[in-house]
Amino acid sequence: MRWQNRARWVAVPLTLVILLFLLFPFFVMISTMIKSGPDVYADPPHWIPSHVEWSNFVTVWTQYDLASYFLASLIIALGATVLNTLLSVPAAYAVARLRFPGRKFAMYLLLMIEMFSPVIVIISLFKVVAGFHMLDSYGALIILDALFTVAFNTWMMNGYFKTIPKDIEEAALIDGCNRVQTMTRIMLPIAVPGLVTVMIYAFIFAWNEFLFALTFISSKAKMPLTIALYNFVGRWTTQWQYLTMAAFLALIPVLVLFYVIEKRLVAGLAGGAVKG
Amino acid sequence: MKKTLLLRLGVALLLVVALVGCAPKEKPKVTFFWALYDGLTEDFRASVEKAFNDQSKDAQVQIVPVKWDDMQNKLTTAVAGGTPPEVSVVGTRWILDFMSTNSVDEVSQYLSKATLDNINPAAEEAKVKGKLMGLPIAAGARILAINNDIAKDVPKTMEELEADAIKVNKPPKQYGLIMPGKSHTELTDFCYYFYAAGGNYFEVKADGSYGKCTVNSEAGVKALTFMQKLALKDKVVQPGFTSMTRMDSHPVFYSGKVGYVMIGAWVDSAMKQAGSKFPVTYASIPSFAGEKPAGLIITDSIAFFSKAKNLKAAGKFIDFFYQDAYKGKFDQLVGFPPVTLSAAKDQFWNTPLYQALNAAALTARPWPLVDNFDTLNNEVWKACEKVFQGQASPKDALDAAAAAVDKARGM
Amino acid sequence: MADVPLTLRQRIWNPEARLAYVLLLPTTLFLAAFMFYPIAYVFVMSFFKTNKLSDLTKFVGLGNFIDRFEDPEFWWACVRSLVWTATGVSVKFLAGMTIAILLNVKYRGRKAARMAFIIPWASSVPISALLWQWVYHPEFGLLNHTLKITGLWTNPPGWLGSPLPAFISTMWVDIWIGIPFFALVFLAGMQAIPVELYESGHMDGAGPVRAFFSITLAGLRELILISTLLSAIWTFNDFNVIYILTRAGPANTTNILITSVYIDAFTNLHFDWAAVQSVVTFLILSLVSVVYARFYFRQENS
Repeated sequence: MRWQNRARWVAVPLTLVILLFLLFPFFVMISTMIKSGPDVYADPPHWIPSHVEWSNFVTVWTQYDLASYFLASLIIALGATVLNTLLSVPAAYAVARLRFPGRKFAMYLLLMIEMFSPVIVIISLFKVVAGFHMLDSYGALIILDALFTVAFNTWMMNGYFKTIPKDIEEAALIDGCNRVQTMTRIMLPIAVPGLVTVMIYAFIFAWNEFLFALTFISSKAKMPLTIALYNFVGRWTTQWQYLTMAAFLALIPVLVLFYVIEKRLVAGLAGGAVKG
Repeated sequence: MKKTLLLRLGVALLLVVALVGCAPKEKPKVTFFWALYDGLTEDFRASVEKAFNDQSKDAQVQIVPVKWDDMQNKLTTAVAGGTPPEVSVVGTRWILDFMSTNSVDEVSQYLSKATLDNINPAAEEAKVKGKLMGLPIAAGARILAINNDIAKDVPKTMEELEADAIKVNKPPKQYGLIMPGKSHTELTDFCYYFYAAGGNYFEVKADGSYGKCTVNSEAGVKALTFMQKLALKDKVVQPGFTSMTRMDSHPVFYSGKVGYVMIGAWVDSAMKQAGSKFPVTYASIPSFAGEKPAGLIITDSIAFFSKAKNLKAAGKFIDFFYQDAYKGKFDQLVGFPPVTLSAAKDQFWNTPLYQALNAAALTARPWPLVDNFDTLNNEVWKACEKVFQGQASPKDALDAAAAAVDKARGM
Repeated sequence: MADVPLTLRQRIWNPEARLAYVLLLPTTLFLAAFMFYPIAYVFVMSFFKTNKLSDLTKFVGLGNFIDRFEDPEFWWACVRSLVWTATGVSVKFLAGMTIAILLNVKYRGRKAARMAFIIPWASSVPISALLWQWVYHPEFGLLNHTLKITGLWTNPPGWLGSPLPAFISTMWVDIWIGIPFFALVFLAGMQAIPVELYESGHMDGAGPVRAFFSITLAGLRELILISTLLSAIWTFNDFNVIYILTRAGPANTTNILITSVYIDAFTNLHFDWAAVQSVVTFLILSLVSVVYARFYFRQENS
């Protein structure tokens, strides 16, 4: 598109300015994580540390055994993402494309569940999890993290499915596919940007989830990163340099995931799928 | 095809259930919630766990590290959810609330005589009606730390402290006194001035129980008015104090900008971490002229939770942990003076800081051992914040706080 | 489709409906197993007095509700919740939409830009709140330091130190965390809009602004409705940001309903009051949802 080229001249500088503004705390994070303890509390503070404390990385990684927390977070986040996708995609297809009594009610119900923040239901949830003998298990976190995003993801996938013209599906149905095949082979590939979005959301939610991890996990081996980061917040002092270093490291897998998946995000409508 | 769909969904469900796993039957397990004091290392926690488990013939302990500010949340949920840990580090003040729902047991029945006799009687704050409801684990008095580069005088009264602070107050390069103005989990900052004025949080009824809240007594108003004067009229406190909790404000002292701070045993290690370069003297927190010396001492305890399964085994673990090899090391890592008589003999505690702490402990008073303590904390902080924001007078703010606390306690 | 009215049995038990039930079954089972009891218990608790373990002690009907409604602080918390949510969602929406448009333009390095925009979302909320606390610190925070040395603001306020700045500062953190979500949702949605629409629009003489309003926004209508509704629900219930930054202070001036619920539950151990406020939250959010849903289902049929 011709105006796309001209748009570039506006978009790039504007994006840079917004990024600089938006990522201010991120720059603070980087500045702090390479400082030594005394440097962190320099008064007045300065952006560039007097010397770069590379040992912060070593301290955080070895002394605090960050690798174990990473692994736990990975297990929980991947598990929750898989479970969540398996739950919400079929459910979204059902409400997007199928007619059945109770459809609107089901959608309302999903919304209703979103309205209860974890802090409200945590004690009852504890009783339920304890009742299932799932205390201190990855399973509890995987299921709960998946459940607390299923309502949203179902609604979102529903929205993305709805953007696909019905003709494509009808064409496939006429060609002899059944409903489920159209869902997996036709709709999902086209709705990949949406699918990727909901998967990222499920992953980020589980990767960053704190309250359930705090409440249900007791074995140190199963504690995820969100708990680990709080090791640096003591009762009387906070070790900002280690906290920011660990927080930075915790960011990396999310960014890597996004990097890998970003291409799929922009897989648009397979051009020509509905021509004719 | 629908069958394959059902099959796939079924497999997914099975995967999840498998993840849950069947818990294999094991030896009796003791769960100990381990509060993360600054200075406690993960290595130490793991070493205690391993040491006990290796020598234990039956019970196994799981030491769960929990950040201090999250401890109460996690404990409340676990207790209310019906699956509490056997033992946990608690703020002693929480015990009353647990007692009101019969959630904690008297601790002496689970511990050996050796352990109990080794406890410094002065640290036994958690004695309720003669029963020991919590085994002391850490007891820290609060003291005054003085930056000797800036300030030389050691105040003997609060009035002197005000004068000394004004003397060294040279904004914006240096300030007189640290005062946190934003609420945090502990009530300490108001308490220093309140106890210095001879105040009592509650009236004590004939049977020894606590009655109405008296934080709005003359002493309370005097204390809060004094704080207001220091902060808003004399302007000797660090700038931006209303946006600083204790954790935010103390580093300003470590950076050498302030003359006086009311602080605890952690000051030494915190200053080392922050790279402080100035000499420091320690003194007791003064009282107002004419009042008895009365600092603040805060204790934490270990509580035994009634509904847990393996309390006897938990007692054996605590006996093991309280040996000098472990508890002594614990105390040295955390930096709080030992609560056990034997560990206190170590030369480690022979420094000016600990001399000051021990001196302060002689006249220090604990917080009231009362139910709904956190409500009291919350309400008094709200009162302080209202005064600092200029929204209310000290008398009105404290009256509102006392009323709210009375309502919560049903007085 | 035939216009013959179906019998009830046919409406419930036809192949299409059966498939729908199968597809919804796993979700329903999990939700029922884990969420039914907790949510039901919240409602039940609001009609009882509770003890410090959240067990029910005495039935009081609407007593708890009346008690809370008589407390002016409760109404203030409601008002703040509404202001907090309305402002937060609006700003997040506008910023997210702008960023999505910017990220949709083709240029080299776009991938890096997209990754950079994810960052505010990629950390856990408590950690982001802590980071902002550090940024906002009056003495050691780099925000005030930078403002002062660049001359942008020679005497910046204590961001969390007084009521209005505290409210705005915490709102900003919530917005900051939420912008990437909107940007991502809209960006993904824009991919589904066929390029042909833009081309034919261009041929009709439409400039980029016209194209945006009549093509892009129209194509995103469904997603806009869904995402703003869901964002409203979360923003309303965003507890961590305020609690970590100000603990609902100074003097309760940043107290919204969800922080009030937490403080009543875990500080005051007053679970019945927490339940009442949760029910009120639910009612408010349901009202908003019903209004939304009407819009949504109406435009679905068009």
